[in-house]
Amino acid sequence: MSPELALAALLGAPLLQALLVLALSRPPGLRDLVHVMGSGAVAALAGYLVHAVSQGASPRIVLANPLPNVELAFSAEPLGTLAAAVVGGLGFLHAIHTSGMVRAIDQKAPARLMAFSALTTAAAMAVMFSANLFSFFVAYQALALAAFPLVAHVGDDEARTSARLFLAMLLGASIALLLPAMIWTYTLSGTLEFQVGGVLAGRIDLLSANALLVLFVLGIAAAAAPPMHRWLTMSFTAPYPALVKVQALAVLPAGGVGLLKVFAYVFGPALIAEETGRQILAAQILLGLCGVIMCAAAVIALSKTDIRERLAYSLWAQALAAIIGGLLAAPAGLFAAALQIVATSCAATTLLMAVGTTAAVTGRNNVADYPGLGRVMPWTFAGFAIACASIIGMPPFSGAWSKLWLITASASTGVIWAAGLVGVAAVLTFAHLGPLAANAFAGRAPTDAFKRPDGASILLVAPVILGAAATLGLLVLADPLASFLSPVWTPR
Amino acid sequence: MSAVLDLLRAHAPMVALALLFGGAAVALMTPHGRTSWALALIAMAAAAAVAADMGWRLLTGGGALDTGALLAIDGVAAFSAPLIAVLMFLAVLAGGSTLADKPKRAQPYVVALHLAVATGWVGALFARDLIGIVVSVHAAWLATAALVAVSAHRGALNGALRMVMSGGAGAAFMLLGAALVIYATGSSAVAGAADAMISAPMMATLGFVLLIAPLLLMAGAAPLHAWAGPAYGRSDAGLVLAVASISALAVITRLAAVAATTTAPGLADGVAAALVCAGVASVLIGSLQAVGAVNVRRLVAYAGAAQAGCVLVAIALESPAGLAAALVQLLAWGVGAFALLAGIAASRDTTLAALDGLGRRAPLAGIAITIGALSFMGAPLTLGFLGRWRLIEAGVGAGWWWATGAAIITSLAAVFYGGRLIERLYFRRATEASNFDVDAWRLARAPVMVAAIMAVACGVAPAWMLNLAQRAAMLALGLTT
Repeated sequence: MSPELALAALLGAPLLQALLVLALSRPPGLRDLVHVMGSGAVAALAGYLVHAVSQGASPRIVLANPLPNVELAFSAEPLGTLAAAVVGGLGFLHAIHTSGMVRAIDQKAPARLMAFSALTTAAAMAVMFSANLFSFFVAYQALALAAFPLVAHVGDDEARTSARLFLAMLLGASIALLLPAMIWTYTLSGTLEFQVGGVLAGRIDLLSANALLVLFVLGIAAAAAPPMHRWLTMSFTAPYPALVKVQALAVLPAGGVGLLKVFAYVFGPALIAEETGRQILAAQILLGLCGVIMCAAAVIALSKTDIRERLAYSLWAQALAAIIGGLLAAPAGLFAAALQIVATSCAATTLLMAVGTTAAVTGRNNVADYPGLGRVMPWTFAGFAIACASIIGMPPFSGAWSKLWLITASASTGVIWAAGLVGVAAVLTFAHLGPLAANAFAGRAPTDAFKRPDGASILLVAPVILGAAATLGLLVLADPLASFLSPVWTPR
Repeated sequence: MSAVLDLLRAHAPMVALALLFGGAAVALMTPHGRTSWALALIAMAAAAAVAADMGWRLLTGGGALDTGALLAIDGVAAFSAPLIAVLMFLAVLAGGSTLADKPKRAQPYVVALHLAVATGWVGALFARDLIGIVVSVHAAWLATAALVAVSAHRGALNGALRMVMSGGAGAAFMLLGAALVIYATGSSAVAGAADAMISAPMMATLGFVLLIAPLLLMAGAAPLHAWAGPAYGRSDAGLVLAVASISALAVITRLAAVAATTTAPGLADGVAAALVCAGVASVLIGSLQAVGAVNVRRLVAYAGAAQAGCVLVAIALESPAGLAAALVQLLAWGVGAFALLAGIAASRDTTLAALDGLGRRAPLAGIAITIGALSFMGAPLTLGFLGRWRLIEAGVGAGWWWATGAAIITSLAAVFYGGRLIERLYFRRATEASNFDVDAWRLARAPVMVAAIMAVACGVAPAWMLNLAQRAAMLALGLTT
């Protein structure tokens, strides 16, 4: 199979998966099998593309020419390919977990949930593989529209309000801010292509660079830069399978990757002011804003008693850390940000699947009900604890590497205070996740833990364990990943 | 045979008008409603084919036309006449299913009115001089008002009455404007203003503003759209409104063609300023009203006002890029509004609640409404996106950065009302209000899907359409022959 064909198949497979899931919604076993196999195919294709890109291939496919000199094109470059592989691999585990969840909680309209989950994957993949700003914009809007039904899935007033906010923020920001930024970029550079070194480098004055940076960072609301984050913290009302997709596997990571692509391939050195050799003013202001809000998000998470809400704020803080890495405008910062996205995606998927398993078999969503549950659900909570440790950034878990690189990059670019804020945020994250994981094992086991007599099925537990294993696996991959990602800032 | 065909093609504008007018007469004289409808369809299809062939030949430089003394085909007419004829054909085709709702004796009249509307608007597009435009526009306007008036709901009469009254006032203004322009430029020909030695620029500007203002009213541009609410909100079939919407499209097209001739020194700035003011006001007021609308047809009317505002801003640029952007926007507006209105016709009720769960019970209607809403939002890979992009590109090229704001406000508002439509279609359970009208939907299915497919297909592969729009703009501005 040629890399081009693999890329096309990777973008098309989730669409086919969605159609098949809807067409074969009965019997449930067949539906689940199609969903899991479709996700497995996506993971395999993403893995193949990682191999191809590591061998020097750079496949590119063009689907349409909607505007003069502007193509609807997708290409596999290291950053997008890595993120797609991680999201694809974890998506396979998530598909298994979803099959277990819809049975355990008797989920309403499971085929619709799985179909939109697959469509969201397709759109997220399209974002990650977008070859230019136009394709990114198209894929990003498709992502917002595909994920909207996931947030609204429960169908009650609360879900509808969250879904409306989700759609309004993502689409609204993209139209009001991202679209003008895209057109401005086109006007300045004459192209919308993502290019190593940045299409704007040497073609933009300082004022325009500052304005454009703000438009891009706020326009890509999926990256959750403040104040465009409300969609993330409001989306916790979605059912667990949808929550994993939105917060850990599609929307948030795609937003992060999209923003990193803009930093690396649109701005490049244009993020550095020539006179001072430091980040441009808007980048410094955004760095400060993201750093302070990152700490504030971790504090707010501490005050939340619903585990889903607490995790939403916690993941927001992690997303901001990735933005900080990109804004540092240095190779080390970009690598830290990419690693942060990958590590957070791994850990967040594991964490949310563990929490989902807990809710399905015990009916508990409140953090006050968690003590002792680790004694009756040891495997699930082992995964939970590993994921918490990774998000906190505890060595030797994978999250620690990204935090370490982030602190190093901050210090090396002269933004020492950003390094300090990353450290403070890690401590605050420990405060809202550490005791939770510890008490799950240290507390007394509840006598009425399970609402289901047979406990958690293998479909609910195995993905959590494998997700935790992936989180641990990243530990040894930092160097190969740095090598794989190096073309992002160094042309081959 | 070939010689006859060549002769007909050489006189294509007159042939198209004759087909429409003759079709209307035959439809009126046919006593049986269904037969009348079938004959009207044949006439509309033939006129659409002639107009399409004529437009294609003119815009690709494939042949000359003999337009006679009364008619003249500029680039805008060559681009828009086929579009209007095709949309009108689809509207008549879809309207066949609701014909049975009318009294038997009235059915031929209703069919003939559709053709009269088409004749009027196509005639207005083809008219060589200002008086011809005034007469054609008002013939079409009165026919449209009559179509609205035959709705079963008494509230529609209110809308029709407002249309007639505002049309009457508009006719007076237009005649006065035409007189002023003829006096100031020394010519009654529409194209005369482009290269005229204007003796009284202020008078000419005032004349054009008086000509344009009634056209804005008829196009439903805010704040001159007082007729649109009751007419759209109370008519008994969305398909009639599709005709009204096509009329608005034709009006703006005519306006674009008129504005394209106002490039003479001393005239251009004043007309452009008037168009900009009208455009921005229409975007703001239309968007606000659409966001707050609870009647789904009124929502489309107000959304149309916002779209019209964008077109006006693009026309005001008075550049090839601006006029081409306006034509693309017009196409997007026409196709999007048709998909929305014809899709909505699947439900008997006009409240937003009528859409609840419609996506499940009438999936094709759901798809059409969704595509129409997405196109109004300016979602990528739809015609609406192309229109917005072209407007912004043309605006930025002319240094009108604020034009970006107009496009963005329209799109942002569309995200709110379009998102609300989509949410109701797919994420709400059906209520009592959401009665699926099987009869109305039976024949509307094919036309509505054609419109929806057009909105997407032209968005995905737009090169030919963009080229035609560019060529049409150059022709209209006299920059090429």
